[in-house]
Amino acid sequence: MKNKHFLFSLIIVFLFGFKAGENKFFTTPKNWPKPIYDFSKNPLTEEKIELGRALFYDPILSADNTISCASCHSQYSAFTHIDHALSHGIGDSIGTRNSPVLMNLAWQKSFMWDGAINHLDMQALAPISHPDEMGEKIEHVTYKLQRSALYPSLFLKAFKDSVITGEITLKAIAQFMLTLVSANSKYDSVMSKQAVFTEQEQNGYQLFQKNCNSCHAEPLFTNGLFENNGLTVDATLNDFGRMKITQKSDDSLKFKVPTLRNIEFSYPYMHDGRLKKLGDVLKHYTSGIHQSKTLAKQLQNPIILSSNERVDIIAFLLTLSDKEFLFNPSFSYPKNIFNSTANK
Amino acid sequence: MNLRFTVILLLIICRVNISASQNDEVLTLQFNPIFGKEALVLSKSYFSKNNNDSIQIDVLRFYISDIELLLNGEIVWKELNSFHLVDASVISSLQINLISSSKPIFDKLKFNVGIDSITNVAGAMGGDLDPTKGMYWTWQSGYINFKLEGKSKVCNTRNNEFTFHLGGYKYPYNTLQSVFLNTNNSNELNIVINAEEMISKINLSKQNHIMSPSKEAVLLSNELTRIFSVQ
Repeated sequence: MKNKHFLFSLIIVFLFGFKAGENKFFTTPKNWPKPIYDFSKNPLTEEKIELGRALFYDPILSADNTISCASCHSQYSAFTHIDHALSHGIGDSIGTRNSPVLMNLAWQKSFMWDGAINHLDMQALAPISHPDEMGEKIEHVTYKLQRSALYPSLFLKAFKDSVITGEITLKAIAQFMLTLVSANSKYDSVMSKQAVFTEQEQNGYQLFQKNCNSCHAEPLFTNGLFENNGLTVDATLNDFGRMKITQKSDDSLKFKVPTLRNIEFSYPYMHDGRLKKLGDVLKHYTSGIHQSKTLAKQLQNPIILSSNERVDIIAFLLTLSDKEFLFNPSFSYPKNIFNSTANK
Repeated sequence: MNLRFTVILLLIICRVNISASQNDEVLTLQFNPIFGKEALVLSKSYFSKNNNDSIQIDVLRFYISDIELLLNGEIVWKELNSFHLVDASVISSLQINLISSSKPIFDKLKFNVGIDSITNVAGAMGGDLDPTKGMYWTWQSGYINFKLEGKSKVCNTRNNEFTFHLGGYKYPYNTLQSVFLNTNNSNELNIVINAEEMISKINLSKQNHIMSPSKEAVLLSNELTRIFSVQ
């Protein structure tokens, strides 16, 4: 009888406990929107996430086996490249954009600063193939993985198949990236009434809601859209952003609105990393806006903030830091996996 | 049960499932690439009247998808999960076997050249759609529907090369094309694809490459409906 009850509650949990496609490896934080990623096509499992994690940290993905995803996306900087304005690649090559933070990717419609990538599964292909990043080809990556000491058994465990294809390689990397959810900042505790803002943070929050929130919308701190935020064109890069993808002049100088979560640790800022400090960012929005045809309508009227108010907004932005995320051991370099082959 | 045994058992089950059972009807589509009136041999030089020059084709590779059989304009049979990469350099890829549970009666064959927009945004796929097949753009998501590469002296490029990678799934640069061919009700259909028909529409001295979704890609893709015919 007891057994029956247990089975029944297990079925109930199975049917109602998790939303479609979600499981113990991924749950939507309270009051967050539904994820965009379709988990039913790539259901998360421990083995697949761990395989993806190994791939994320393994320079085998690059042409000369020197650069891994983590080279430009390190955990303690919210998975960006701290202190580097532009992304780096094999043979000391330098790209044209700031490497974006990686978090809450299940809620993202498109990827890259210009939205060139339409699905998280396909995202890894771009840095793998870019000559100034990993300079590889996915067909050669799968060839190297197939011949490695480590991966055939990991793929067999994860996908019940030891034939390594592009599809399952990309799906495994996506699985690891999907687990990178940051939703445990002080801001989140305040929202769930488990903490309170200081007076300064509270004032900053109100100013933020008045001046910043329409693009950096809560709870993800981005509306996922592309906007021109009034930066001048860097003549050495001539990057017009979204226009390259849509070929529409209306999209000139538009870049994806980035999340502000963990912004304390993800400097430098902007699509080309031109601003080093949060103070510089606030100054840009109050006195640095460059007028142009496609400027975001939210920025067409000047934002007026005193220096004290700017400091208060920064105090609020620091409440978006999520130490649990930045130091979560399940997101870090998987020593145990790599050591197991080193000993073989 | 030991693992090896399980794996072998699974393999046997899969094999039984994918091969046609005795009652199934098999309809074969045989693609025959030609250049003008001759069979196409890759990297062989042909004289093209329209371009008034010798031309060689090095790559002819494209997706055939959503295959349907029609009778009097009504769909009578439809292949599920219908995606095939056809490559002039891979003989086995030139033959597509369609398997139906009963003998279909039809007078028309329909297929798409390229990959539909829903599949283009559906994430990582396997089989012929695997990104390792070299038919997926990496810098901007999307499948390449059709590749035609070769050489012509009129091309003012390195090694006189021309490269046409046609793709794009979003309005206004959607390049997917549907091809309708009248057929007889045979179990084997020979479908000719004429590379010269395609190349003759391009002024190679002015245009020698397309490698992204664009107006030019759409214009050239419109020609794809005219290069297929039933022999």
